[in-house]
Amino acid sequence: MVVSFFSGNESVSEFSQGQLVWITIVGGFALLLGVASITRVSFDHIKQRKKDWPYKVVLLVFLAVSGLGGIFEGTEQGTVYDWLFQNMNAPMMSTMFSLLAFYIASAAYRAFRARTLEATILLITATVVMLGRVPMGSYIYEYLPQITDWIMNYPNLSVQRGIIIGAALGAASMSLRIILGIERTYLGRS
Amino acid sequence: MVSLSVILPLILTVSLPISISPESQRLFDRVEAIPDGSTILLTFDYYPSTLAETEPMSVAALRHCWRKDLKIVTLSTVGLGGPNIADRVMATLAEEFDKNYGIDYVNLGYKANYQAVLLGLGQSIRSIYPTDYYGTPLDSLPMMTDFDTYDGFDFIYIISDNGIVDYWVGLVNARYGAEMGAGVTAVMAPKFYAYVRADQLIGLLGGMKGAAEYEYLVEAEGMATSGMVAQSMVHMTIIAFIIIGNISYFATRRRNVS
Repeated sequence: MVVSFFSGNESVSEFSQGQLVWITIVGGFALLLGVASITRVSFDHIKQRKKDWPYKVVLLVFLAVSGLGGIFEGTEQGTVYDWLFQNMNAPMMSTMFSLLAFYIASAAYRAFRARTLEATILLITATVVMLGRVPMGSYIYEYLPQITDWIMNYPNLSVQRGIIIGAALGAASMSLRIILGIERTYLGRS
Repeated sequence: MVSLSVILPLILTVSLPISISPESQRLFDRVEAIPDGSTILLTFDYYPSTLAETEPMSVAALRHCWRKDLKIVTLSTVGLGGPNIADRVMATLAEEFDKNYGIDYVNLGYKANYQAVLLGLGQSIRSIYPTDYYGTPLDSLPMMTDFDTYDGFDFIYIISDNGIVDYWVGLVNARYGAEMGAGVTAVMAPKFYAYVRADQLIGLLGGMKGAAEYEYLVEAEGMATSGMVAQSMVHMTIIAFIIIGNISYFATRRRNVS
């Protein structure tokens, strides 16, 4: 991949493209591995009647129904898989995510304290951005959206750039260590 | 309190004017400048959990594109539901705009390992997606016969709720020079301002507000616009909780000191 990124040679590109296709195929089998793993773990859980084992039965039933439905009937509109996704999976996932709003409200009262100067600056900035990002903010103060845009485009942007560059340098050095065999934790060794 | 803040504005159907951010305006202007009849790539890179923020963006983007008769190729790097969401949203709007599958839009579906997919599409779309989401060979779809790489797309419109945008920018924009813009959740948006400033992303929609801004620009108010008042009320509620909590904290601290 690294060589093909910099090389303009057509043979290298073709070989690299073949490798990418193989990676997508292997990725598909990796998903299968995940299914096998969760099936095995759930069966063990049910066999030993561990805590909440009925939920594992539900998991296996729906895994089988959606999996077999997807394989034999397809996943397009009008199939069992699609019905389960649109009417059960999607609403449940959205509901779980929306619970965050209540946790944030609770945290806002209990934990967001101006204990230090940094915490105070953070709180004030968060309040300004929260107000500036909703229509009501411009009713409170007409320039609040512009102040929010300034915060996002200057202080926020500069910090995010630093984080992105740091993360990229870290990823590059870790990749080099793995390629050179210095880092072997991914093989299970220390 | 939070429940009431969400439910009451939705029941009372109040509306508030929406200010447009420069990033949303840039994205709209860039798509508006695409010649009618061109082909763009629209991605559905999000999970069902963030439908409230991301689906309105997809709907508004689709409306904008089909108003301009753009042909749309869609794919998803999210296995859990991305292709199904794309299938539903596009089929619903295709009826409204009288668009035909294979001629006006194609759904490529999902393939595992997004990094390989993004890199592979730059060399050959057919090697990664020999068939579309429904199993039809790409060569038999009229709108897919003329191109086989990112060069065939005038724009890449990413709608995402995860870090895949980093890979679109780092792998596709950096290596193949493809122009792109993104709609992301409000939590993720602060990170991508750096890409907008560097012109790696032409524009950015952030959260439900971004979706509402785009709906306003496209002149098709939808779910995001109607959710703006509820979001305003929830933000005000949370700010009130912060203020009350801090008043209580300082009062307790003063009492303990005295």
